[in-house]
Amino acid sequence: MTEQKRFKSGLVPSLLPFGFNVERWSYSIHRVTGVIMIGYLMAHIFETFQLGAGLTAWNNTMAALRSLGPLEMVGLWIVAGSALYHGGNGIRLILNEMFGVLMGKPILPVYPYSPTSLGRNQRIAVWTITAAVLALWIWAGLYLLAGLGVI
Amino acid sequence: MDKVTLKIVRTGGKEASYELKYKKGMTVLDALTEVREKQDSALGYRHSCRMGICGSCGMTIEGLPRLACQTQVSSLNTDTIGIEPLHNMAVIRDLVVDLGPFFGFHTSVNPYLVRKDIQERDSADREYRMLQSEVNRFLQFDYCIMCGLCYAACPTAALDPMYTGPQAIAQAYRYMADPRDEGWKQRVDLLDTAHGLWRCHTAGACSFVCPKDVDPAKAIQLARMEVLKARVLRRKERGGSQLVPPVTTPAKQGVKAPPFDFQGGTEK
Repeated sequence: MTEQKRFKSGLVPSLLPFGFNVERWSYSIHRVTGVIMIGYLMAHIFETFQLGAGLTAWNNTMAALRSLGPLEMVGLWIVAGSALYHGGNGIRLILNEMFGVLMGKPILPVYPYSPTSLGRNQRIAVWTITAAVLALWIWAGLYLLAGLGVI
Repeated sequence: MDKVTLKIVRTGGKEASYELKYKKGMTVLDALTEVREKQDSALGYRHSCRMGICGSCGMTIEGLPRLACQTQVSSLNTDTIGIEPLHNMAVIRDLVVDLGPFFGFHTSVNPYLVRKDIQERDSADREYRMLQSEVNRFLQFDYCIMCGLCYAACPTAALDPMYTGPQAIAQAYRYMADPRDEGWKQRVDLLDTAHGLWRCHTAGACSFVCPKDVDPAKAIQLARMEVLKARVLRRKERGGSQLVPPVTTPAKQGVKAPPFDFQGGTEK
């Protein structure tokens, strides 16, 4: 049989959680925040690498970053949010995947169905992490604004 | 709601629109059947039992993989229903997708009882006897109807066409948890691969769309723990049970069988 193109598969469909459960949204956000952090890591390695190229190169890099003005802080704020969400949700996923925490035990399905792996405890975990991340992200934003001397 | 419009993605990606009269209790499959009978006899879709048992009529309805026969038109809260083929599968025609690769993944995990004693397997004269508590460990995963909705919903399957998939992994675990099965180690090796159960990212979409509450997301995590037992704790085989195989039963040997409580007797 010849290789056929699969319908709506690939990166973009895998990141679209519309209509699905909250854990599916969490998956998409986790992936995007992971990519943001990898991007930051690469930029950070490049930035610190300039130290090895001499003090002038380092000062030029710092000057280029400072010339971005508030955009630099916005970028750092996005990185902070990404790190917070990726870390917090990562802990939930480790508990889920390595120890089966919040997944429930095998049950006898009774209609109307409600999968235990997406049960109340799992939802509480997802929303608790989201709320904590949002609170810390707002705090990080205020911290960065204070660094800019805005507040 | 007097009328309902079906917007169906046909072969080649073109969208066709059909308007029909809504009847109380109408399912999406009923609507499709009416379209094929009265408006477009060339419309292609699969169906068989019309009662959520065969798993043939899986399709993407209003953005989610669902069984057409189990989806009431009224439950969608819209009079314009978008219908597409299942995602992550190649389209054969209209709403008919190629389930071959999906069934291939199912076959790849040896979804049957593996017994070391060939004579016992081939010439068994009675059933295997199990504790109800042992049955309960795998019964939920035994309800799978292989409709493919979980695979269509899985974001990992969208990215990796070689991924074993939630259905196959759940079925592998179903047999790993079965006290009659002696293929625990071979299934550990089948799942512990680059495209196996470690590719799951616990999005839970498979369990969300499953029409039978098989909960593949849970089965995958349970299977992961079995693989960890094998790899980290160096376990060679599944833990023991009070299973009584057919050939070696005392009755077969002319000895009265010991009392056996099927409704949850104590385990060793």
